Amino acid sequence: MPQITMKGVSKNFGDVTVIPQFDASIDDGEFLVLLGPSGCGKSTLLRMIAGLTGITSGTLGFDGEDVNEWTPSRRGVAFVFQSYALYPHMTVRENIAFPLLMDAFRKWHHIPLVSSVMRWKLMRRPDIVERTNQIAEQLELTPLMNRRPASLSGGQRQRVALARSLVRDPSLYLLDEPLSNLDAKLRTQMRSEISTLHQRVRKTFVYVTHDQVEAMTMATKIIVMNRGEIQQIGTPDEIYEHPANTFVARFVGAPPMNLLPVRQQGQQLTLEAGATFTHPGQLPADKELILGLRPERLRLQPAEQPGIPVEVSVVEKLGAEVILGCRVLHPGGGQSGDLLRQDLVFVRISGNPHVAIGTRASLGYDAAGVNWYSPQTGKALHPAAAPLLSCSA
Amino acid sequence: MNNVHQIPTRLLHILLVLALTVFGGFPIYWMATTALSLNSELYNSGQVPWPQLANLPSMIAELAQLPLMRWLMNTSIVAVGTTVLSLVLGALAGYSLSRFKFHGKGILGFLMFMTQVVPEALILVPLYAMFITLGLLNSLFGLVLANVGFSLPVAAFIIKGAIDAVPYEIEESAVIDNCPRISVLTMIILPIIAPSMAAAAVISFFAGWNEYLFAATFLMDRDLWPASVGLASFVGQYETPLSAVMAAALIFSLPAVVFFLLIQRKIVAGITAGAVKG
Repeated sequence: MPQITMKGVSKNFGDVTVIPQFDASIDDGEFLVLLGPSGCGKSTLLRMIAGLTGITSGTLGFDGEDVNEWTPSRRGVAFVFQSYALYPHMTVRENIAFPLLMDAFRKWHHIPLVSSVMRWKLMRRPDIVERTNQIAEQLELTPLMNRRPASLSGGQRQRVALARSLVRDPSLYLLDEPLSNLDAKLRTQMRSEISTLHQRVRKTFVYVTHDQVEAMTMATKIIVMNRGEIQQIGTPDEIYEHPANTFVARFVGAPPMNLLPVRQQGQQLTLEAGATFTHPGQLPADKELILGLRPERLRLQPAEQPGIPVEVSVVEKLGAEVILGCRVLHPGGGQSGDLLRQDLVFVRISGNPHVAIGTRASLGYDAAGVNWYSPQTGKALHPAAAPLLSCSA
Repeated sequence: MNNVHQIPTRLLHILLVLALTVFGGFPIYWMATTALSLNSELYNSGQVPWPQLANLPSMIAELAQLPLMRWLMNTSIVAVGTTVLSLVLGALAGYSLSRFKFHGKGILGFLMFMTQVVPEALILVPLYAMFITLGLLNSLFGLVLANVGFSLPVAAFIIKGAIDAVPYEIEESAVIDNCPRISVLTMIILPIIAPSMAAAAVISFFAGWNEYLFAATFLMDRDLWPASVGLASFVGQYETPLSAVMAAALIFSLPAVVFFLLIQRKIVAGITAGAVKG
């Protein structure tokens, strides 16, 4: 199983730079998720690892060996496409067995007509039949073996695509948003199936998604990308608890982290709306700061208690929890004049408490759950934040 | 309630289909009726509008005097040769035009399109001169080449259009699965675009089957004539044996009809469904 290293990897399409420079490494057996918004270059990066897209500059290495010029087949990777990319004229059995047939083919077997005869012959070879059946059984595809992709559901097609990638037992699995076409229920099911699969096969997985839930639940390590650049590399916990910059803070988490621009005067913090409150811990040296608070780190408390004065504007009941959207109040008690420009401060409360819209309250928090960012650079000021553009994997 | 409303629409559909069937089928019926008439009747008392089966033995006797099987064999060689060559070269050309980026791609496409604008008669003389030089005159192979010149661009464009619609990921998936490019084309792409291949086959086959001008010009040997030239040779200065012409034409049409019936199912079958999301 190779360790994958990317040194100064970049990609241009004509004059457009998609990935300016990418440095990272992926360890053996890791489940790495490339997370980022659409168009951030994560799929391009995956395709470069697979050899489907050329690298403009830099070096891609498998176990230290430069593989830039290697063909996709020589790289020995499995690739699961977002669109499944099943062969529509073949049955499920033929789809799963296809990589095995290609491995068994000699050069002259590719001569047209000869290839048809050899396919027919090899489909009956005991080892290929056994391996195909074994993989199909693992993914519960046995009853569907003689059906064509057109007659399968989305989830079944996705499982066939996974089976086809598994059958050759490659050392590296590349998955490009494989669950994005499935409905929410099926996505949850497939998520756990892929995680189980990773634990069982113990191979390296590189998984591209823009869905943070997929990233948080499956990854052993996440690389957050934006505009072709690495924003942060870390474990799911590190990414969630200590985002390296305001982009990561806003991108990871639903609702996202609350980012409140504040001005400090001693222990007093003044919000843009004018409200002043006392911070319960130590502050960075900068005068202008962005206070970052995850919604679950905030407590809704009576208006008389010290904290951020707010009025509840939105109440979303999710069953096991309630998400409140609050607007910060002026010192005089009214809402800020530019309501539309002002972001809501989200609060997550466990259980199902009754909170009415219009309720005035104070938001409290503990110093331990706070992240600080520079308003100028957007980078974390908290000493516990993960290092930006870390190369370690 | 809905069914009641659907009755007039359904009736209209049936009437329309019947009218089209009569419109399309009448020439064939008239051909059969003419074939079963006597020449004396056709030229004197006029044609009886229904088939006279009593004349069947005389029709068979008349046909037996003609080298019909040889002509049909020659036509088949030309039609099948044109089809196979057009499909093989058309698949390679269509794939290249669809998937590769190269200089002059636009001009190449334009030139291929232009072959359809130029009438066959216009290039007859230069082609004749070229065939003399290449020693392809009086040869069925030469005739196949001349036909392919016209049917290949059509086949290539049909195939290119079909390959354009095949998601690139399917091809990439095959490449990842260790499949070389030639097998990607033959084992993955071509089966997926089978309906378009069938359409290109029909066009190429009928271009070869019905071809007359090149065959009449390039083939001097009577034994090499295809049926189209053979049938035309019936037309005499003073008399044309119309019943024999129609009988031969009927037999000439049958293999083409069978070919079309065999291949038409492929044309209507869309098998790409389910390959990708959606």
